[in-house]
Amino acid sequence: MNDKTPLETTASNPNRPPKHPYKYVDPDYLPIEGSGFSQVLNHLLKKPLSVIHEINHGKSSPLPALLAVTLVCLSIFGLVLGMFSAGEQLWAAPVKVVGGVILSALVCLPSLYIFGALGGMDAKVQQVIGLMLTFLSITSLLLVGFAPVVWLFSTSSNSLVFFGFLSLSIWLICLIFGIRVISRASKSMGGRKGGHLHIWAAIFMLVTIQMTTTMRPIIGKSDHFLTLTEKKFFLIHWGEILNGETNQSVREARKTESGEKSVPSTRSDKKSDAQTNPYLKE
Amino acid sequence: MMRHFLKTSSRLCRGDQALLQGWLKRSPVHSLAFCIPAILLGCGTYGFTMGLWQGWEMASYVGIKLPLVIFATLLINGMINGMLAMVLGSGIGFRESVQFLLAGFSLMAIVLFSLSPITFLMALHAPDPEAMGAKHWHSATLLTHTLVVAYAGITSHRSLLRHVREFAATVEHGTRTFFAWLAGNLFVGAQISWIMRPFFGSPGLEVQLLRDQPLEGDFYAAVWRAIQHILF
Repeated sequence: MNDKTPLETTASNPNRPPKHPYKYVDPDYLPIEGSGFSQVLNHLLKKPLSVIHEINHGKSSPLPALLAVTLVCLSIFGLVLGMFSAGEQLWAAPVKVVGGVILSALVCLPSLYIFGALGGMDAKVQQVIGLMLTFLSITSLLLVGFAPVVWLFSTSSNSLVFFGFLSLSIWLICLIFGIRVISRASKSMGGRKGGHLHIWAAIFMLVTIQMTTTMRPIIGKSDHFLTLTEKKFFLIHWGEILNGETNQSVREARKTESGEKSVPSTRSDKKSDAQTNPYLKE
Repeated sequence: MMRHFLKTSSRLCRGDQALLQGWLKRSPVHSLAFCIPAILLGCGTYGFTMGLWQGWEMASYVGIKLPLVIFATLLINGMINGMLAMVLGSGIGFRESVQFLLAGFSLMAIVLFSLSPITFLMALHAPDPEAMGAKHWHSATLLTHTLVVAYAGITSHRSLLRHVREFAATVEHGTRTFFAWLAGNLFVGAQISWIMRPFFGSPGLEVQLLRDQPLEGDFYAAVWRAIQHILF
């Protein structure tokens, strides 16, 4: 992986700034100062392009560190999501989040390579794998940053719809930051300002969103670890959850109007949840 | 070999002029050795995922038929494409016209191949053809595949246009030749696709390699009937 299309120092004058084969190079596309896991972690948020530079031209590959960061951070975020339902979801949600993201990345890796090349990016397969891992680790790190916010709502909110919407919004926000890094890195690797990577980003977002339905339930409870027998498109699944929660609210409002004591649905009220919420029935 | 294939795919995607110039200068064996396997692999894999929602049988049929559509279109249009290139004064000969078009279609196949893991996953999520909601899924699948194939086609032809303009005597001649090829390929390709239908397979209809009377009717008459059906 070394000596790809490196920054070349002019042989005649070593003090001159290095020449680069591409028209535009991001100012952050420089080697990492120092080495080790902590340096990679430090540069990942401050100067992510230096991590990509290290993958492309460095002596020591930061890929194991990136993989470790991704797995740990996604597990933490999954754990926080699992706290909404607690019980078995405490281990099931992290497994599903990690599995879903890794599977999405694998599914979208060939298209990243080809769409990057369509945009002019001159990268080898290993470099594209590195780019993908950097993107995932930045996204995962940001997710951990949001974890306290998610935890706050996971322990206080009763609404699956709201909590699901919040988690998904946070995921998409973090993805946007990760995708920006891919876009910047592509330009430093010969890529043009093109729409191909934007199309890829949209596809990746859709794949991960569909993965939340494939891996369901991630937030709610279920007797089964996965519901693979019933195939669903994510919009249909969301519509069903939304209808289930709306119907439940209407029933509770009618009970209140007719003078009956309303029993609020909480996560601890397992019977009520399982009867009214289709998400929990699965 | 795999590395060489990946490297050439990447160069083709980036629109590397040197790659095509090299192919045109050297024996056609070099370009054919890359383009034919690329079309077989790319369109075959994508076709497989296209038919998968109807089961493995349909997937296999479409996996075979999709590359065949490309090759049949090139074969039928090969002579006229070469003639048009000469008549329109592009300076492109028979051999070069075939090589240009093969390169264009192999780029399309590479794009389709890169998206096939996603369409494969999509097919795995599909409901059974007899299940409720299968019609909705069929419509959504049809739309998705149309968009994907259109995107791959537009991307590859944009790249091809650049190459043809570069190679032709003048930019104007190159553009004219390209659009003549495009019109001919679209016209013939649509009819070949019609003959080789089904590709998606409608819910409720039998899974077949070809329809019972594949050569009966044509694509354009079917489109005309559909327009009449909508309007009147």
